Amino acid sequence: MLYLKSLGEGMKRFFKMPEYGGDDLKNTARLIYNLSVGLILAIILFVVAMLFISPDLIPRAVALAGIVAPASLGAIILIRQKKLRAASILLTGVMWLAVTLGAITAGGVSAPILIGYAVVIIVSGLTVRGRLGIYLALFCIFTGILIAFAEAGGYLPEPQEYAPLARVSIYSFFFAILLLIQHLNAQNMQQLLRQTQAGETRYRSLLETIPTVTYISSLDPHLSKQYISPQVEKLLGHSHRAFLEDPRFWVKILHPEDKNRVLAECQQASTTLEPFEIEYRLMADDQREVWVKDEAIVVRDESGTPLYRLGVWTDITALKEVEEQQAELVRVMTKRAIQLQTAAHVSHAASSILDLNELLPSVVELIRSHFNYYYVGIFLLDKTKEWAILRAGTGEMGRKMVENGYRLKVEDSSMIGWCITHREPRIALDVGQDAVRFKNPYLPLTRSEMALPLLVGGEAIGAMTIQSAMEAAFTRADIITLQTMADQIAIAIQNAQLFTERADLIKILEAQNAELERFTYTVSHDLRSPLVTIRGFLGYLRQDVASKNMTRFEEDLNRIANAVDKMQTLLNSLLELSRIGRVTNPPEDIPFSEIVKETIDLLAGSMDAGRARIIVEGNFPIIRGDRLRLSEVMQNLLSNAMKFMGNQPNPTIVIGSAGFDTDGKPIFFVQDNGIGIDPQHHERIFGLFNRLDPTIEGTGIGLTLVRRIIENHGGRIWLQSEPGKGSTFFFTLPVPASE
Amino acid sequence: MIGEPLLVMLVEDNVDHAELIMRTLEEHRIANKVQHFLDGQSALDYLFRRGEYADPEKSPRPHVILLDLRLPRVDGIDVLRAIKESDEIKSLPVVILTTSEAEKDVARAYYNHANSYLVKPVGFEEFKQLMDDLGFYWLGWNTNPNIT
Repeated sequence: MLYLKSLGEGMKRFFKMPEYGGDDLKNTARLIYNLSVGLILAIILFVVAMLFISPDLIPRAVALAGIVAPASLGAIILIRQKKLRAASILLTGVMWLAVTLGAITAGGVSAPILIGYAVVIIVSGLTVRGRLGIYLALFCIFTGILIAFAEAGGYLPEPQEYAPLARVSIYSFFFAILLLIQHLNAQNMQQLLRQTQAGETRYRSLLETIPTVTYISSLDPHLSKQYISPQVEKLLGHSHRAFLEDPRFWVKILHPEDKNRVLAECQQASTTLEPFEIEYRLMADDQREVWVKDEAIVVRDESGTPLYRLGVWTDITALKEVEEQQAELVRVMTKRAIQLQTAAHVSHAASSILDLNELLPSVVELIRSHFNYYYVGIFLLDKTKEWAILRAGTGEMGRKMVENGYRLKVEDSSMIGWCITHREPRIALDVGQDAVRFKNPYLPLTRSEMALPLLVGGEAIGAMTIQSAMEAAFTRADIITLQTMADQIAIAIQNAQLFTERADLIKILEAQNAELERFTYTVSHDLRSPLVTIRGFLGYLRQDVASKNMTRFEEDLNRIANAVDKMQTLLNSLLELSRIGRVTNPPEDIPFSEIVKETIDLLAGSMDAGRARIIVEGNFPIIRGDRLRLSEVMQNLLSNAMKFMGNQPNPTIVIGSAGFDTDGKPIFFVQDNGIGIDPQHHERIFGLFNRLDPTIEGTGIGLTLVRRIIENHGGRIWLQSEPGKGSTFFFTLPVPASE
Repeated sequence: MIGEPLLVMLVEDNVDHAELIMRTLEEHRIANKVQHFLDGQSALDYLFRRGEYADPEKSPRPHVILLDLRLPRVDGIDVLRAIKESDEIKSLPVVILTTSEAEKDVARAYYNHANSYLVKPVGFEEFKQLMDDLGFYWLGWNTNPNIT
C-alpha cells in the first residue's frame, strides 16, 4: 500500500494531468491514468517474477507484457490528449485481448482467466462511460462462452498444468491489479465526497449568511416549512428551532389582518404551482410587525415532477415604512392642496359676492364640502354686541337654525361666545371633554368642534363654527389655515357691509338729488309765479294812480297782496319739507294703533272733524320710527281723503293693515270713497306743489311730505285708485329689529 | 284781414297771470278777443269741439295758442302733445308761456313741436314789451294757416 501510494504520488509528480471540465471526468481520467501506470509496473513485475518462478511461462509473460505495456502507454498518451473515451476503450480492450489470448493459449477457461475477465469487467465499469461498459462486460461473457465451447470441441491446445507457484503468481498479478483498481476507486470516491461536501458547505454558508431568510416548503396549502434558514431568528426573534419543529409555525405568527389573504394565496399557489410573490406582516417575538416579501418557486425533478417550494423572505419593513411615510406625505399634501383650493374659492367668493345673504351661505358650504366636515356655520354679532346671531349654516339643519333665529350669548358659556370674547380660536377634539361645548340638538353627530373668531382690525365681528363627526378632526395646521380663511371672510363681510351701506347711501343721495332737482324746479316755477304777478301789477298800480282809477287800484293791490301771501305759504311749506330730512326724533318701537288713535283724536278737535266717518279695522303690529312724523303722515292722508270726497253722501275712511310685503314689512292703508284719481296722475300727486284741482285749497305739499317721511323710514307708498271709485293709499313701515 | 277777429287762446291756471296777459294784449289793441281757459281739459274740449264747444260756430280756431306748462287736470305738455298729434289742428301755432326756465321743460316743449317758448318776465315793462312783441309777431307779421 505504502509503496503503491508513493509510486502513485511519484507518477503524479512526473506527469502532469491535463485539466478536465468536471470533477467527474477528472476523476475518471486519473483512474485510467493511474491504472495504466499500475498495469505497466505490474506487467514488468510479473515478467520478472516469472523469471524466477516459472521460466517456461516467460514467453507468454513477455507476449502479455508486449501487448499490455504499449497499450497502457497509449492510454496514458490519450489521456494527456484529453481523449478520455478512447483511452478507456483502448485500456479495457487491450486487457480483454490479453485475457482472451491467455485463455486460448492456456487451453481453456480456467480460474485465473475468469478472474482476468472479472478484472476487465470491473475496469470497464469504472472507466468506460455509458452503456459501452455493459456491452464490454457482455462481450467478455460471450468470449468466455466461445472459448468454453472451443475447449469442449477440442479446438484448443491441451490445457496447461501450471506449477502451484505460477498459479499463485498469476492470481497475485490479478489481485494486485484489483487492489490497485479498488484503491484508486476508493481514492476517487473520497475525492468526490470531499468535493461534494465542500460544495454543500459553500452553498450552506451562502444560504445562511445572506440577509434574507431561505426556506423549503412542501406543496400543501399551508406551505409547511420543511427547512428554514437560521437568519429567521434574527429577523423575527422567534427561535430557529420553533420553525424547524413546527412546519406551520409561520402561520401562527402571521399578522391577523393579513392571515386570510396570505392563506388564500398559499392555497391558490399550492394548486397552480406557479411562482408567487406576496407581501405580508409577521409578528416578531417582541410583537413588532415585520413586513416580509415572500417569493417562492416550485422545484421539480428531471422528469418535471414538482418536489417542493424554494422561497425567500426579504425584510421590507423599512421599505414599507418609507412607503407609509410617502403615503402620509401625499395625504398631508393633498389636504394642503384642498385647503389652498378652498382658500382660493373662498377668497374668490369673498371678492366677488357683495351681498352678505349670498356670500355667507356659499362660503360655509364651500368650506364644509371641501374638507368634508359635518357642519359649518357663521355667527355675526348683533348691534348690541351681546348676541352672536347665526347668519348662515350648512345643510337642512343650518337652514332651520337660521330660520329659527338661533343665537348665542357672547360669554364664555359657549365656544362661539368664548372665541368672540377672547378673539382666539378654540377647538374641542372630543366634545365630551370640553366643558364649554354643550350638545346642540340640531347637530347630534358632532364629535369635534372648532370656533374661529372673525376679526376685523382686531375687533371680533362674529365667529365661524366648524364641526366634524370625527374625534380629534383638527390639527394645529388646520387651525392656521382655517383661521386665515376666517380672516378673509371677516374682511369680505366687512366689505359687503360697507358695500351695502354704500349702496344704501347712494340710494339716499340719489333720492335727495332727485328731491333737490324737483325743489329747484319748483322754486324756479312756483316761486317765480307770484313774483311775475307782483311786478306786473305794481306797474299797473302806477297807471291806476295816474288814471285815478281807484277801483282797479284796489283790485290790483289785492292781487299783489295775495301773491305775497302765496309766496309766504310756499316758503313755509318748503321749510317744513326741508326740516323732515334734517330734524329727526330718535326712533322708537310704537304700536301702530297708538299713532292711529292719536291722529283721530287730533282730528276730532279740528275743523275737519265730522266731515267723514273713520273706521279702524284689523290688528296693527308694532313698528319702529319717528312718532311725530308718522303722526303727520296719518294726518295728511286723512285730511287728503276728506278733501277729495266730492259730493259723496256717505264719506267714509277706512284705516287698516294688509299683511306684509316681500321684505317682511307690514303694509298699512288709508282708503276713502271719494272722487278717486286717474291712474295717469298716480305718480304726479306725490310731486311737490302738484295740485290736480286748483279749486281745492292746499299747497300741494301734503302728499310730498307723506312720501318723504315714509321713504325716510325705509318704507314705500303707492296708490290704488280710479276716478269715481275712491282712493286707497298703501304704505309700508319697518318693524323693530328682530330679536 | 280787416273785420276778421284775431282770436288768441290763453290756457293759464293762474288768474292773476291771465289778467296781466289779457290786460296787456287788450291795451295795445292787438287782439280782438282772448279766450281764456283755466285748465288743460277745458282747453282740449274747446279745440276738439267736445261738450259745450261741439258747435263749430261757438269754437272758432284761434290764431295762436298761449299755453302755460303746469296746469291742473291735463298738464300743459299733454295739451301740447294732444294738439300736435291731431291731424286736424296740429298746424295751429302754440306758444309756451310759462314761469319755468328749466331746460327740461324747454326741451320737452320743443320735442313736442311747440312753435315758440317764452318765459314770463319778472318786471312790468319787460312783461309789456314781451306781450307787444308777441302780439305783433304772431298776429301781425306772421302769416297763419287757415284752418277751420
